[in-house]
Order: sequence, then structure tokens, then C-alpha cells
Amino acid sequence: MALSVSDVLPRTGAATTRRQIWSIGGGKGGIGKSLLAASIGWQLARMGRRVVLVDADLGGANLHTCLGLPQPERSLGDFVQRRVESIDEVLTDTQAPGLRVISGASDLLSAANIKHLQKVRVMNQVRALDVDVVLIDLGAGTSYNILDFFLLSDVSILAVVPEPTSIENGYRFIKSALYRRLRAVAPTDEVRDLIDSALDPKNPLGIRTPAELLARVESDDAEAGRTLRREMAAFQPRFVVNEIRDVADVAIGHQLVAACGRHLGLRASYAGFVHHDDAVWRAVRKRRLFMSDAPTSRAAEEIRQLTRGLVKGESLGHGY
Amino acid sequence: MATDAVGREDLYAVLGLEPRASGEQVERAYRFSLELYHEGALATYSLLEPSEAEQQRARVREAYEVLSDEEKRKSYDANQGFLPPDSPVLAFPGPVHARPEQELPEVLTGAELRKIREARGVSLRHIASVTKIGLRFLEYVEEDRFAFLPAPVYLRGFLQEYARLVGIDPRRTADAYMNRLGPKP
Repeated sequence: MALSVSDVLPRTGAATTRRQIWSIGGGKGGIGKSLLAASIGWQLARMGRRVVLVDADLGGANLHTCLGLPQPERSLGDFVQRRVESIDEVLTDTQAPGLRVISGASDLLSAANIKHLQKVRVMNQVRALDVDVVLIDLGAGTSYNILDFFLLSDVSILAVVPEPTSIENGYRFIKSALYRRLRAVAPTDEVRDLIDSALDPKNPLGIRTPAELLARVESDDAEAGRTLRREMAAFQPRFVVNEIRDVADVAIGHQLVAACGRHLGLRASYAGFVHHDDAVWRAVRKRRLFMSDAPTSRAAEEIRQLTRGLVKGESLGHGY
Repeated sequence: MATDAVGREDLYAVLGLEPRASGEQVERAYRFSLELYHEGALATYSLLEPSEAEQQRARVREAYEVLSDEEKRKSYDANQGFLPPDSPVLAFPGPVHARPEQELPEVLTGAELRKIREARGVSLRHIASVTKIGLRFLEYVEEDRFAFLPAPVYLRGFLQEYARLVGIDPRRTADAYMNRLGPKP
């Protein structure tokens, strides 16, 4: 049973300033999400935040390896199966003060038959962790559970690399997440049906983008249109372009934001980019994180900039 | 929200600009848009059919042709009711007199206008398509984004068109909305 989005949408208003949930998704595997998560988490801890990294990567949980840790003894599964009572007991320390890891959350995301209540319990415990930032590495895929975690987040980071397959997956991820969010707030069955048919790219109504969907709903039902418009405005994925090899690749992030705005009707932003850097894989080979192994590398500096920007909610502008 | 108006968005929106953009911004936005819609461009090839990308390129060129030419831009702005980039914002010539009337309040906010419009089931898109007023401008009116509203003489015209389609008294609507802006020295 899927967790309903309304259970997990970020709470607005008071009390959101302190504890934040960040997530990194991207639809595609092998684009460095785990390294991004580890290094952003590491930098946040360096900036004095108390951080918990949650490894929810289905494609092989290896966040601990990125951080130079052996496979942790306890995983989130122990908490879900109630072998431990509190989520605090599955936290593993890292070498960086203020940075801890929960491994094995992938079990939770992949388990199709996991009980709704179990998921809510995990969500609530994640929310209740006494930390400043919970950073979730969502890994690849666009399953409902992954989308829910992405939607649950206060900061939703979408990682891409400048390659066609990654960009395509990124768009698919954004659309899936947005439609799931819109579906959860659809006030009538008619609107929900419209959203469902919009999910099929070859739908007979010819609705191909969220903007077209919105226009269609607005012309049928003004009130519903306003509800959907509000949700769309609140959905603000932040792009990170990873593995940049050419200076021209920097502009990809600006183009993605422009394309989202002009053709999907979405207010995305460009949080930052990280160059491909040999220092990163040299560190990976040593099973160390490049942030500490090669702190003067270009990638490390870019992660620091990126993280500072994310903390302040700043972006790189529109690029022209 | 550029694609929702069926090809009727304004030339500024085509380039991702606000109406008060400088000449230099127009240049930069033009170059950016050319790259964005370049054949096979990474950020758009999977969103747009080749024919749509070609259409976008044509519109970008068309927008640039007008906006990069001082004379053409001036007359386009005047036609659309946009303020020229160097004009002061909302320099009202004098007090606007509201008239007492029955159904409409003396002062109308954008939000109130929207409420009336929605109660009558008229969409902004409909107004935009009939009046040829840019959808974004209608949104600015309802959002009270005065800095982006056109000169009073045009704004009044917009409001009257809007009111006509919503089915309320055009002149009183315009008065009640503009009354709020108050006299400017």
C-alpha cells in the first residue's frame, strides 16, 4: 500500500526552520548521487550542523563505503522489524563529528508489501530525529516510495549528469513526483482522472506537460485549478549537475531550469554543479571521502559552494 | 508559464524576460534561448518534438527581431500596454475619482477581482484569448503586482476588457481597481 502524499508533505509554517529533511534523487543510477549525498552531508557537518545521512539507494546501498566505513551492524530494517525500539539505535557514527548514517533504508523503499503503518512510523521517527538535517540518498528509480520521500523533503535535490539518459530520467522523475503530488490534492474525481490520463504521454486528450494539464483543469474547474497551481508553485526541485567535464556543461543546469519553467510550468532552480575530478575516484579507491582526502580539489570546493548555497536557499540565477 | 497560452504569450516571455528588460538582457536572453532550442539540445530534445523545437526557434528569432530593435520594441510595448524600460513605474497623472455604485465596492483588489471572476466561471485564459491581453498581465492585475502593470491609460483599458468578459461594469471596475493606486504627485 502506497503511503499517501498528504501524510508526508512538508509541514508548512512554524517549526520548519529547525529540522530539515533533504533528499537527493535523480531517476538514474550511476550518476554519483551517493557521493553527492556523502559529501554534502560531510560539508553540512563541517558547517556545524548535526546531520544524519539515510541510505535509501536501491541500486546497492553503499553510502557507508563512500564515507570509509565498513557495513554497519544495524540497518533501518532492524527498526522496521522492531528488533530495536528506537531509530536512534540504528544510527552509525562516522569519522566526521556531527555526521551519522542510517543504512539499509533501501529495504523500506523496495518492499512493495511493507505496511502503511510501518512506513508512517519510519517517517515520523525520521522527522523526530534530534538533528538539524536529515539527508536521504534516494538512489535510482521513480517508485512511489522514492517519490514520497522526495516530496516529503524540505529541500528536494535532483542530480543529473550532462548526458541524454540522465536528463531524460531527470525529467521523468520530476513529472512523476509532481503528478503524484497533484493527485494527492485533486479535489474531485474528474480532476484525478485528468491527472491519471496526463501520466500517459500518448493520452487522447493531448495533455503532454504539467502546464497543459493545469490549463485543462483551470478551464474545467477554476477552483481546482487554483489548488493545483498552488501545489505546482510549491514544488521546487533544485538541480545539481554532476560530473561536468566541459565548461559548456555548466550551462546545462540553467537550460534545465528554463525548460522546466517554459515547458513544464515548474519553478525549478539551479543549486550548483560539480566537475568531474580524478581526486574523487582516487579517494573512492582508498575508500575515503574526497572532502577529507583531497580538500583542495576542485570537486571539494564546488561541494562547499553548493552546500552553502543550499543552506541559504540560493541558486545560480537564470544564466543570461 | 510560457506554453500554456496557445502561442499567444508575449515576446518577452518567449525569451524568458520581464517587460522592462534592458537591451543587454535581451541580447543575452536571445543567445541563451538559441542554445536552449538548438537542434538536439540536451535540455529540450526529450521535451519537445523536432517540429516544436523548430517552432520555438522561429519564435525566439521573431521575439529578438522586435525586442532588439528600439523602434519596433517601442511600438510593440505601446501595443501591448507595456511600460518602456526607462519609464518611471506607475506615474499616475492625478487623482482617480471613484464613483459610488451599487454592486461593486469602491475599492477593488486584484484578489477580489479574481474572486468575482471565478464565481462567474470565467478563466483567465479565456479573457486572454479573446482580448489578446497577455495572460501574464492579467495575472499581474489579479496579484496586484503594480510594478509590472502597464501605464494607467493601458491598465484602464485592460481592466475594462476584463470586466466586460467577467460581466461587471467596466468603468466602475476600472475605477475601483485604480482608485487604490491613489493620487501620485
